[in-house]
Amino acid sequence: MRYLQALVASAAILITSTVTADTLLIKNAKVHTLSSQGTLDQADILIENGKIKAVGSNLSVTADKIIDANGQQVTPGIFAVANSLGLVEIDALNQTGDSVTQDELSGASFSIEEAFNPHSTLIPHNRANGVTRTLVAPPFGDHLLFGQAAIMSLNGDYHPLIKKDVAIFGSYGERGSNIAGGSRASALKQLQSLLDEAREYADNYEAILSGEYRELFTSLDDLKALQALIDRQIPLVMNVQRAADIKALLRFSQKNNIRLIVKGGAEAWMVAKDLARANISVMLDPMDNIPRSFEALGQRIDNAALLDKAGVNLIFLGQSFQNTHNAHTVRHSAGTAVSYGLPYDKALKAFTVNPARLFGGADTYGRILPGYDAELVIWDGDPLEVTTSPVEVVVDGKLTDKTTKASRLRDRYKDITTDKNTAYRK
Amino acid sequence: MNMKLIKLGIAALLSAVVVSCADDSQDEKADAKPFASQYKVQEFQPVFIKNATLLTATGEQIDNGSVYFKDGKIISVTEDGDEPTGDDVLVIDAEGKWVTPGIIDVHSHLGVYPAPGVLTSADGNEMTAPVTAEVWAEHSVWPQDPQFSLALAGGVTSMQILPGSANLVGGRGVTLKNVLGRTVMDMKFPNAPHGMKMACGENPKRVYGSKGRSPSTRMGNVAGYRASWIKAKDYKKQWDAYNDSVEAGKPGKKPKRDLQMDTLMGVLNGEILVHNHCYRADEMAVMMEIAKEFDYKVSTFHHAIESYKIADLLAENDVCSAMWSDWWGFKQEAYDTIPENVALVDKAGACAIVHSDSAVGIQHLNKEAAKAMTSGNQMGLNIQPKDAIKWITINAAQSLGVSEETGSLEAGKMADIVIWDGNPFSVYTKAEKVFVDGALKYDRNDKASQPSSDFDLGALKPQENRL
Repeated sequence: MRYLQALVASAAILITSTVTADTLLIKNAKVHTLSSQGTLDQADILIENGKIKAVGSNLSVTADKIIDANGQQVTPGIFAVANSLGLVEIDALNQTGDSVTQDELSGASFSIEEAFNPHSTLIPHNRANGVTRTLVAPPFGDHLLFGQAAIMSLNGDYHPLIKKDVAIFGSYGERGSNIAGGSRASALKQLQSLLDEAREYADNYEAILSGEYRELFTSLDDLKALQALIDRQIPLVMNVQRAADIKALLRFSQKNNIRLIVKGGAEAWMVAKDLARANISVMLDPMDNIPRSFEALGQRIDNAALLDKAGVNLIFLGQSFQNTHNAHTVRHSAGTAVSYGLPYDKALKAFTVNPARLFGGADTYGRILPGYDAELVIWDGDPLEVTTSPVEVVVDGKLTDKTTKASRLRDRYKDITTDKNTAYRK
Repeated sequence: MNMKLIKLGIAALLSAVVVSCADDSQDEKADAKPFASQYKVQEFQPVFIKNATLLTATGEQIDNGSVYFKDGKIISVTEDGDEPTGDDVLVIDAEGKWVTPGIIDVHSHLGVYPAPGVLTSADGNEMTAPVTAEVWAEHSVWPQDPQFSLALAGGVTSMQILPGSANLVGGRGVTLKNVLGRTVMDMKFPNAPHGMKMACGENPKRVYGSKGRSPSTRMGNVAGYRASWIKAKDYKKQWDAYNDSVEAGKPGKKPKRDLQMDTLMGVLNGEILVHNHCYRADEMAVMMEIAKEFDYKVSTFHHAIESYKIADLLAENDVCSAMWSDWWGFKQEAYDTIPENVALVDKAGACAIVHSDSAVGIQHLNKEAAKAMTSGNQMGLNIQPKDAIKWITINAAQSLGVSEETGSLEAGKMADIVIWDGNPFSVYTKAEKVFVDGALKYDRNDKASQPSSDFDLGALKPQENRL
């Protein structure tokens, strides 16, 4: 029946992408507030003008639209991270991709949010599956520091930007060594030069801009971009796997007084206490337990649980090369992390409120509390479970349409045996 | 084990060195079987699992079920079965736990693309000619790949290792039992037919087109398959005539052996099963036409993203589809994925399989099947765990030609069995004990019963194993 209703609903609103309702009341849901309020077993959520107005049991209010979510659960929308949503359609077709550049002058300053395409089929696909915002970032590059990250909404309109230039991404380890000429030692030296030149720029920018200063190795755009890093306004997210490499970057970040986030972190569990002490977060794929390189020999399935136990803050990546097209499956990865010992609430936060705290937006997103943006998902069960599906996805206080290219194909072909002439089915 | 086959295998191995000892009439026969399985069932005490929820993969869920197995074979599968007498029986009270047949992955590259993934051991894709039917994946399998044990912890007891998909015909695949051995022969599933990998679409035309040679188009692909089958038909004709002459007691001139043609002839003789990487529905339909033209059968289309578009045709032609639950978009031919694909193929009465093609995915096939089941149920189908378990067990066994031996909980079959710590169609559930041919090969609660490869020894600390 739910399926039929969904069909009727989607048929009625094919023209617009959202259903407008000034006030929306979700009743009787289990609510993961992700705040000190914890999880409310049976609560109502009142949404007005895009904001959460009230959360509590038996709210005695009425609304333009009321959803009975009895037996269902509510979380903030999924905050996917470190992917190319809106910046690629088909991985193998380079002409559809905008998240990697070979422009020699674009290193740390490479900023991709202007290339974001809100009409990419990946946007409704992931939104219908619960993703409401994402941190887009270049996956790699020809520079040690290869670009900036931005937080984008999956609202599907021409104003997707939530916050730009929120982090700089880079590579150390095998890839960094390769870029720097063949040694990690060279890579570290070059990273130091980048930051040294950034400080020189800060101290001498007038002379540098007027050409009265010695020539610097780093492009002016990159030097400007690095200012937020040396001022500790934004973190440096480094692809790094080996325990010794993580330690080297840790020392580097302390020496230079910059904020570091470890990405990948295959062997992060081996230096978990050091990371916790230095308050360094780890961004990892909790499904990955493959010793896929000689720098990742310690990769293990309970990496997340071990890091958490030591007090390390976690952010979850989705599954390897599907982290863009299927960014939404990060919730299943989180479920797997729970099965290997990570506490449930920590798993939920690792793909919602944690990235907001680190990269921005935590003042309005990531908690189901009055005053926060109404950006949430109603699930038909445990949100981490593989047999659970989204019932409604709310963005900017509005129910979103769950039609996707895939759902159109399904509807065209689901009764194939009764009518083979499918090309005229809409 | 057939002793004659073992001798033949050894003869073939040694023939290059000890030419004078080789029996020419034996080792050069086209149907000789070198590299035969030397897998031995490990001796283990009889096991009686009681109070479990059983998914038999025959369409049944049995609550309070019991499974009894002994000497490698399943003796009985019953509801509230009587505990067998005998001091040596290991009785396992599986209250709250679920039992399924061992998981089977029809599409894996473990061993041929081992971890760590470095060029020096990337041995899965002979990208030097569009038709390399002469190569065998088993000759690239590195038995010490640490990924085998990870898959075992995911409940995988058998798998097909395939060559990659660069070529129109990529070579022979091999079905392995997921047991660590010193040689690949120690791992080979006894008497399982070889597979033969074929590939449609983007990969062959990209790999060879970029080298400025054929095929560079899909029509070039098809011309390539057909040219090979024409040659293979001719080769088969020569060997059939020769074999007939031998049988008639008047041996004619023996045809010259050709390794490439041996494999293709094996398909034409029905001894080798075709495993065809093919994403798009229209291409699958063309491949089924080619199979009719040359009178062979396609066992399974792999990565069959668009099977839902021709599920009726696939049912009619009795061809399996091996699918992911949700992967999409990595190339154009993977653009039309729908999460209901597996469920719709199943609904059409065609053979549906969930496969991995991934060293991570192979460890979570139960969850992949659960996602595919859920997508089907979301669109109004009624698929239960007792149905969906078939996608990763008996249907996979059928695809590999071993469904008489394994893939379901039935008396007489190999005791390839997994005890799960809960409903396997849940993200929280893990394989707790894994039996291969009745022997405990993995126990999550006992480090001593967890295999590690040579590679795992001393990898991080000299005194310890990697994990």
